[in-house]
Amino acid sequence: MRAEQKKKLAVYTATGCRACEQGILDLNYQVSEIGRFADPVFWPYVLGTPWEALQDGVDVALFSGAIRTEADRQAALKLREKSQLMVAVGACAAFGGLPGLADLGGGAEAPAAAAAGGAAEEDKPTLPGIEPQTLCLSQVVKVDYVVPGCPPTQNLLWAAVLALVCRGESPARLSYAAARLPEPVAEAMASGMLPPRGTTFAGEKAVCGSCSRVKEEKKFGTVKRPYQEYQETGRCLLEQGLICQGVATQEGCGGICTGVGVPCRGCFGKAPAIFDPGTKMVSAISSTFDSKDAKEISGLVDNFVDLAGTFYRYSLPAQCSLLATPDQSSETDKGCDRCRG
Amino acid sequence: MSRVTLDALRWQEQPAQATVTVNGGAPHVYFQITAPRDVAAMCQGRPVEELPRILPILSPAHHLCAAQALDRLFGVEPPPVAKNMREALRLALFVRHHLRKFYFLVSSVEHPFTDFWSQDARRGSHSLRPLLDDLMRHGSLAQEAAIILGGRADHPVTAIAGGVSRALREEHHPRLAEIAEACRSCAERLAGFLRESVFPEGKVLGELRGLAAGPLASLTAAPEGDGLVLRDARGAEMERFAAAAVFDKVDLHREPWSHEPFAFLKAKGWQGLGATPAEGLFFVGPLARLNGGVALATPLAEAERQRLVEAIGPFPRFEVVAAYWALLVELLSAAEGLVALCQVEKLTGPVLRTIPKAPGREGHAALESPQGLICHHFRADERGLVEEVRVLDTATANNGLFGIVAQRAVEASLAQKRPWEETKKRIELSLLAY
Amino acid sequence: MSEQEFQPKIVAFLCNWCTYVAADAAGVSRFIQKPNVRAIRVNCSGMVDPSYIVKAFASGADGVLIGGCHPGDCHYISGNIKAMRRAPLLKKLLTELGVEDQRFRLRWIAASEPSHFQKTVNEMTEEVRKLGPFTRKKKNAKRSAA
Repeated sequence: MRAEQKKKLAVYTATGCRACEQGILDLNYQVSEIGRFADPVFWPYVLGTPWEALQDGVDVALFSGAIRTEADRQAALKLREKSQLMVAVGACAAFGGLPGLADLGGGAEAPAAAAAGGAAEEDKPTLPGIEPQTLCLSQVVKVDYVVPGCPPTQNLLWAAVLALVCRGESPARLSYAAARLPEPVAEAMASGMLPPRGTTFAGEKAVCGSCSRVKEEKKFGTVKRPYQEYQETGRCLLEQGLICQGVATQEGCGGICTGVGVPCRGCFGKAPAIFDPGTKMVSAISSTFDSKDAKEISGLVDNFVDLAGTFYRYSLPAQCSLLATPDQSSETDKGCDRCRG
Repeated sequence: MSRVTLDALRWQEQPAQATVTVNGGAPHVYFQITAPRDVAAMCQGRPVEELPRILPILSPAHHLCAAQALDRLFGVEPPPVAKNMREALRLALFVRHHLRKFYFLVSSVEHPFTDFWSQDARRGSHSLRPLLDDLMRHGSLAQEAAIILGGRADHPVTAIAGGVSRALREEHHPRLAEIAEACRSCAERLAGFLRESVFPEGKVLGELRGLAAGPLASLTAAPEGDGLVLRDARGAEMERFAAAAVFDKVDLHREPWSHEPFAFLKAKGWQGLGATPAEGLFFVGPLARLNGGVALATPLAEAERQRLVEAIGPFPRFEVVAAYWALLVELLSAAEGLVALCQVEKLTGPVLRTIPKAPGREGHAALESPQGLICHHFRADERGLVEEVRVLDTATANNGLFGIVAQRAVEASLAQKRPWEETKKRIELSLLAY
Repeated sequence: MSEQEFQPKIVAFLCNWCTYVAADAAGVSRFIQKPNVRAIRVNCSGMVDPSYIVKAFASGADGVLIGGCHPGDCHYISGNIKAMRRAPLLKKLLTELGVEDQRFRLRWIAASEPSHFQKTVNEMTEEVRKLGPFTRKKKNAKRSAA
C-alpha cells in the first residue's frame, strides 16, 4: 500500500494504564502488520510524537484511559477535533474503568498543594487540575465506536482495526462468530462499510452466552466468596453461590474469566439490553432466593458484601444510574449508547 | 527565568513530562507524573480477595504479589504446582517486559512502523526490520504464555488466595515449552545485536552510555525466604529485614508538582534529589538486582553477566549502559528459567489450591516484578473487607532515580548546546534503561 | 432558597388488586393525605423491577414506595414474595450508593386498609421531607496521590 493510502492513526492514553496500548502494539505481530495499513502519526507512548503532529488531522483516533485531569479533557477535545473517527478503547475510555472506583467514597485526600491548585513557590511547575469526577470519553466528547474490555481482547481490537482502519482490506480475517460480534460489525470487517456510529465492538447478549460452564438450576442457598471452596471447572459460578457478573455483562470476551475458574467482574460493561447492571444483578440474584421468610432473606442478604464495588467495578462513571454525571451540554452530542450520563 | 516543558515522554508507564527551569545558573529538572493513581482509594472497602484483580492496574506482576499477600492473610500455603504456575507467569511477564524495552530501544534507531513493502523512504532504512519483527514476535509469544498461565496477560486473574484457579490443559504444556525455547533463542539473537551495536562502545547510546544515576542504595528481595536486602551505594549489604517491615523502613515524600510520591529511607530522612551521593534514596530494578554482584544460576545469563563485568567493570554499577545490559542479563535468565519450569511434571498436580478457612486481618508480600521490587501490605476488617492497602510500586521506589537521571541527562545535553528535541530523546533513552 | 417548604416527589408503584384499591378508597372517602405521591398502577408488586426504582431516583424522585398485597394474599399467588425477596438486596445496594434507608419502602397494604395507605403516605412524605431532596451523589473534589 502506498504511503498516501494508509490511514492516519492516533493512539493516546489519558489516565489508566498502558495495557490497551500494549494490546495494540501486540496486534502488530499477532494478527497482521498494522504498519501496512496505518500510519501512526501520533503515538506519544511509542513514537514520542508531539501534539503538532496532529495538525493535518487523522482518520482514526484510538483513545484509552479515563478522564481524570484537565490535561485528559484537553487531549480528548483536541483528538476529537482532529480525527474523523474517535474510538474509545478499553473499559476506562468506554465507561470509566477501574479508576472510577475511587469515586465510591474511598475517602481520598489530595497532596497538599495539588488540591490548592497552585505551585507553592514561583519556579516550581504545576500539575493539570483534577476533574471533580472520573469520566469516560463519551461524557466529554462524541465517540464513534467503542471497544470495551480490560484490556480488550486481541480479537476485538483486531476487529476494530480491520473494520475502521484497514476497511476490510487485510487478508488476516477473523471469524466474527468467534467473538459473537453483531452483523453490522461483521459486514464492516469484510467489506469496509463502516458500522453505524456508536456501535460497540462486542457481542449482543450477556457473557452467559459465551460461557462454557454448565448451567442447571439457579438457587442461592448461601453466598460464597471467591476465597472459599467451589468447583473451578464445571458448574455455573452463580449457581454455586458466587457472585458472577456475567449475567449483566456484555459478551465478546469469550468467557475468559469463567473459563479459568474465576467469576466475571464485568469489564465489558453492561449488556446492551440492560438499564443498569447493579439492579440487574439484584434482580437476578434475588430471584434465586428460595425462602418466603423476610427474616431469613435478610439474614442471607447480610452476607453479601460490597455490592456497588462489585456490580459497577468497571462502569461506575458511566453506567451506574445513581452516580452518573448530570447531562452534558447539548454541544457534546453523544453518539454512543453506552452511557447513561 | 525560562521554563520548557518536555511533554509526553516516550515509553513511560504513566503519563510523564520533564519541566526544565533555568533561573540564571544551572537548569533544574522536574520529572513529573501528571496523572493520579488512586489505588488506595480504589481498594478501600473492597473484599480483600478482589485485590489481585484490581492492583494489576499498576503492572501485571502486582497480581502475583497480591495473591501472595492473600496467602499470608488467609494463612494458607499454596501447593507446589500453584507456586510453579505463578512463578512461570512471573517469568513470562519478565520476558515480555524486557523484550518490549529492547523493542523500544531499537525503535529509537529505526521507525518501527516502516512498511517494508511500500519502501517508505521518508522513514529511513529498513535494516533493523527483521530484528524489530523478531522482538515483536517473541513479545507476542510471551504474551501468549502469560495468557495461558494467567487467563489474561495484562490484567491476569488466575492467582487466587491459596493457589491458582485452574489447571493447564494437555495442549498447553508443549506450547509453553515451545514458547520458552523460542524466547530463549530470541534473547540470544538479541544479545548478539546488542553486543555489536549497543554495548559497550556501540553507537546507539552514544554519550548516554556513561550517564550515571548513582551512586545509590538498592533494595531487592532476598534470594531465600521472606526478606528484603538493602545494599549501600558501594554494593555492601547494609541491612536485611522482613518484607513485613518495609513500611517501617521506607517512607514517602510528596511534592506538589508530581502525583507520584518519592520513596526514601526513613533512617536517613528525605534529603531532596540534589545531593551526590543521594543519601536516603534507593532504587529497584534489574540493575539493582545485579548490584549485589552475586553469580546467577543459569548459564547464558551468567555468561552475559561476566561479559558485562569484563567490559565495564565490577558491580555495583549505575550507568545507563549497565542498566541496559542488566536488562539483557535478566531477559536471558528469565527465558532460561521459563524453559526449566515449563515441564509437564512441574506444572501438573492434583491440588491447585489450599482452601482458606477465614480471612485474617493482615497480609503482606514482596515480589520482584520486571520493573523492580514491589511490596504489598493489606489490612482487612473482620468481614474481610479492605481497611487499608499500602503498595510500594516501582514507580514510587524509582521516582528519585528518575528525577536524578532526568536532571543529569538535561545538564549534559544543555552543556553541549543540543536542541530541546534532542534533549527530550536523551531523557527518554536514559529513563528507559531503568 | 425557596420560601415554600420542600415538597418531596414520591413515586409509588401500587399493586392493582390491593394497594391501588386501598388508595382509591382513601381518595373517595376524602381521607386527608399529603399530595406528594405519584401513583403508578402495576398488576403486581412482583413486576416492579429494581431498575424501575433506580430509574425513579435517577429521574428526580425523592422517595419510592412499593405497595403490595399481604404475603399469602397475592392475586398471582407469589408475586409479592418476589418483591419481598428483592427488597433487602436492593436496599443494600441503594445504601452503598448514598440513598438513605427511609427513601425506599416496601409495604403490604390490603384493599380493605385505606387508612393504612393514608398513614403510609403521610408518614413517608414527612420523613422524606426531613431528609431533603435526593441528589445523585456528588464526588468530593479531593484526590489521593497514590
